[in-house]
Amino acid sequence: MKLKITTFGVAWLVLGILVFVVVLLPLLHTINAAFYAETDVGLSDERSLQTVIDVYLGADYLRYLWNALLLSAVVTALSMAIGIAMALLVGRSDIPAKGVIDMLVLVPLFLSPLTGLISWISLGSGSTGFLNMAFRAVTGSTTTLFDIWSYGGIVWVMVLFFTPFAYLFTLGSLRQMDGSLEEAARMSGASVLKTIFRITLPMSLPAIFAAALLIFILAAEMYTIPGMIGTNIGFTTLPWRIYQDATSYPVRLAHSAASGTVLLWIAIVGLVIQQRITRASERFVTVSGKGYQGTPLRLGAVKIPALIFVIGYILLSVVLPFGTLVVSSLMKYSAATLTPDIWTLKHYHDIWNIPRLQRSITATLMLAVLSGVIVVFVGVMISFAELRRPSFSSKALAFLGVLPVAVPGLVYGIGLLWTYSATPVYGTIWVLLLAYVAKFLPYGVLISRSGIMQIHPDLEHSARMSGASQLQAMRLILMPLMRMTLVSVLFFVMLMSMKEISASLLLSSGRTQVLSVLTWTYMDSGNYQLAAAIGVVQTLLMLALVIGVRALFGVRLESAMSAK
Amino acid sequence: MTQLHTRLTRALAGAALVAMTAGTAMAQDSYPTDPAALYEAAQDEGSLVWYTGTPINSAQKMAEAFGEAYPGVTVEVVRLPNLQQMQRFSQESASGRHMADVLALDNVSMAALIKNGFIADWKVPSYDDIVPEARMGTQAYAPFYIDTAILYNTNKVSEEEAKLLAGDWNAILDPRFKGRMAVTNQKCAVCYNAVHMFLDPKLADRYGPEFLTKIGEQQPAVYPEINIGVDRVIAGEKDFMVTVFESSVVPKWQEGAPIRWVHPSPTPLSLTSAWSAVSANAPSPNAARLFLDWWMSPEGAKVQQESYGGRSTLKSVPDNRAFTKEPWYDAVTEPYAPDLPRWEANFNADMDMWLKAIGGAK
Repeated sequence: MKLKITTFGVAWLVLGILVFVVVLLPLLHTINAAFYAETDVGLSDERSLQTVIDVYLGADYLRYLWNALLLSAVVTALSMAIGIAMALLVGRSDIPAKGVIDMLVLVPLFLSPLTGLISWISLGSGSTGFLNMAFRAVTGSTTTLFDIWSYGGIVWVMVLFFTPFAYLFTLGSLRQMDGSLEEAARMSGASVLKTIFRITLPMSLPAIFAAALLIFILAAEMYTIPGMIGTNIGFTTLPWRIYQDATSYPVRLAHSAASGTVLLWIAIVGLVIQQRITRASERFVTVSGKGYQGTPLRLGAVKIPALIFVIGYILLSVVLPFGTLVVSSLMKYSAATLTPDIWTLKHYHDIWNIPRLQRSITATLMLAVLSGVIVVFVGVMISFAELRRPSFSSKALAFLGVLPVAVPGLVYGIGLLWTYSATPVYGTIWVLLLAYVAKFLPYGVLISRSGIMQIHPDLEHSARMSGASQLQAMRLILMPLMRMTLVSVLFFVMLMSMKEISASLLLSSGRTQVLSVLTWTYMDSGNYQLAAAIGVVQTLLMLALVIGVRALFGVRLESAMSAK
Repeated sequence: MTQLHTRLTRALAGAALVAMTAGTAMAQDSYPTDPAALYEAAQDEGSLVWYTGTPINSAQKMAEAFGEAYPGVTVEVVRLPNLQQMQRFSQESASGRHMADVLALDNVSMAALIKNGFIADWKVPSYDDIVPEARMGTQAYAPFYIDTAILYNTNKVSEEEAKLLAGDWNAILDPRFKGRMAVTNQKCAVCYNAVHMFLDPKLADRYGPEFLTKIGEQQPAVYPEINIGVDRVIAGEKDFMVTVFESSVVPKWQEGAPIRWVHPSPTPLSLTSAWSAVSANAPSPNAARLFLDWWMSPEGAKVQQESYGGRSTLKSVPDNRAFTKEPWYDAVTEPYAPDLPRWEANFNADMDMWLKAIGGAK
């Protein structure tokens, strides 16, 4: 049989090699590390199953895993509830000031979890938190309104961090949904709520489930917030244990790696579930040859409560934490009472005199753009092949492309270090690019997959019947319809890469320190105020990026789930 | 894992004592000993990379001061806590990708690197001026002492209470201090200093495991890092912290934070951290040697005392740290030196005992 070499085949081969080198090799290194015995400072050369037994069957690690899963489930449920409610109000109702709300709801995306946590420590500490002190001053009570150093505090900060994901994923789908089915329901006498629960939300199920899956996995692998606060209440999650095993003495790298494989299983199970539930993708097509927006749902008597809900969310998730970040950046040291002698502009002066800051900004922006472009291209190609040319190899590649989302950044960073330390890219900005592509490729695959699923294949079939090749149909039909999705994936990845810390910490050299590493370095040195100032600069950069893109290109970040 | 890496990781588990008496195991490298010639050679290189775990602000001040003293030679500071520095340096060495010129590690890690040939032999000009215990042969040097202190917020702890804390470590068990204390469950060399002393068999009648348990009964707030605990004391969330070291708090004191510290007796005073040396495969070997020479010189020591707050190990350098002139300053009167073999053997078990006692993250 003659081997037919096609353009698609060549592209597919290149993709496969890229995914293998960038994604699979570091993962294999990490998994391999789980099967070694340990010395006090690293791995020995002896193979051992003991670590895997400790992690998979030991009471301690099973407790850490349970803590992580339960926390993740709670955070996911709350984030989805708030995020979907916000998305419905903005995307499908007649709530006023949608443009402003839309922008403000996304601002928490621009705050890294660590800087957000620092803000909430200042706001919510039991004795000295600004909120508690204000409450006591106003009411005369001695009660603590809210203590950030609690399980509730962990959930609170994480929910504020993840809600924009739920909002982002759901809103794009809602905005570009064909409204004829909702109209039909209302004309048949269904109430607004019934229409939402019976028509609108089920039609957005792929996007909602993609969001829930992503949030669950990301929440399960987050270690900064549960670790920093959890230490105070004797609460340990598996990711925090991974961090301790990798960075404390005695070093337990095999335990870190083995624990990483546990989180990998969670992602695999989640992905399998997603594929089964959304198997009949045609049921979720919301963009076809016909298009009809439909009229917004009238809120009527609930408009005021809805506005209060939205304003309350924005106050708690944007105004208070970002405002506190700015306040911290202008203080000489942390303090509960803001006396005149505490203020300073020194940190902003220091920032502009730090020799490496300019290099950090340049490196950060360059990596953001490059990783975004590569992730979009590779992600779309992988999802296209999976959905339009399904085969074992395309599904396997899609699966591999998504796996890194489940591996904690720290563990993946160790795998990357082992993979690339002997190569010329080590110590350069290119090793960071490889790390970012590997880490964010899952977003490119998941989001573009969801976008492709909502476009009926008939549109491409029409092009094929007119003589176009599959790649031409993809380029001329699918990609334009997915334009908003692709551009929003690009900027989503850019934002995430600007905040990336786990792998960057391990792979940055003296000349390639990105902004997030710089922030961490100052925080870790106890200089929270200077770190806050860097955090303000980083946040403003991201905000400028989003506003600029919206103003210049009319692209909205939330248009990630549907194509038009 | 490569064989080299395996050898290295094995050696790290038990090489401290041998390495400290290794002396000049390596042959002296052939680099200029004349300061002018060394400077010229360093200028040709242009820069050096310094791996250090000390606070970035302090390290940056050192780097800037060096740059002013030696124009044309810049220092790239890469802040890496001890263990991460060891892992990265080990991996880079095993892979042949040499990035670091100067390292700053704890005594155990540095000793292991010396034993395995990863540290250059370089006798700094101030060699005879350095106290003997701050030298590992002619390869590594400890620039400053690490003390152990109790930090307190002056708005939360009265002068009478501060005097109480300054007397003896048992004062922290006073019922009046219940719920007011901050501690850390961080596992690090400086974090272990006090625990190591509390579990010294010779001091069992004063402290011992029961002492740790009683600290836990005081319901301390447990923070994952020293710096977080320090920040919470400064903010007034907790009144005092057990234990800190001067380098961790001096920068904030200099900025006017309402804090002071005391040294209860006996006071762990050690050289377990910040051992500095030139990498045997330094990409900029002349610049690295120049930097080490400067840091271990009286000029460098003065800058270090101002920026780090740690007392210099050079005999000829007086203690010019500003806070020592303050009327409240409580100097170390009864230093306690760690038992290094017991340190190495018991670190893990002792820290586990500490974590269990304070009820930190389980």
